[in-house]
Amino acid sequence: MARILSKRLGAIELDEAAVLHFPAGLPGFEHCARFALIERPQAAPIVFLQSLDFPEVCFLAAPVTAVDPAYQLEMTAEDSKSLGIGGIDGKSSAEDVLCLAILSPAESGRFTANLLAPVVIDRKSQRAIQAVRVDSRYSHRHTLPGEAIECS
Amino acid sequence: MLVIRRRCGESLMIGDAVQIDILECGSSHVKLGIRAPKEVIVLRKEIHLTGQQNHLAAGEISPDEIARLLKTLR
Repeated sequence: MARILSKRLGAIELDEAAVLHFPAGLPGFEHCARFALIERPQAAPIVFLQSLDFPEVCFLAAPVTAVDPAYQLEMTAEDSKSLGIGGIDGKSSAEDVLCLAILSPAESGRFTANLLAPVVIDRKSQRAIQAVRVDSRYSHRHTLPGEAIECS
Repeated sequence: MLVIRRRCGESLMIGDAVQIDILECGSSHVKLGIRAPKEVIVLRKEIHLTGQQNHLAAGEISPDEIARLLKTLR
């Protein structure tokens, strides 16, 4: 059992089996390799990616399809290999893969989603990666649905 | 912005310590070789932007802001 006192969520206990491993960390957070994915019914579809080594590091995220229902994941061969999906072993299939967009606060209380670099989690192996795309199809500051049409 | 025209096999310097070699050119891509001191971080721009965005994302977010965010997502 792992325990952590999260900055955002308070005290959390979880099974070691639920720990997500980011072998290379995340860009800017290369030192954070172990995370927990925390789901709270009252916060759905937002989920929390809580670092298990650094309590102050906790990302808000949402499934990419909640941000853009037509989102198409594309990973570099290197990232797919590192995650172990679609690779030679072929152990995990698309149903095992969870794809999240990290949410960031922007000006005037708005939020944006990083669709340029989704967090891809293989639920079978519990390995994860922030897969930074090489194309420029999606933005690292994608406006959330509902935000654009709102009048102030 | 400074624009320099170079051909395959040619190089350019940034300061005294960073050398960029043009290794290969295609119709839609170039392959670059970069020689830089260890302390110089070389990253794809998308990774650099994501690093900055991650720092923003891990910053202070109030419960009120989360409540507002929820409204836009539901």
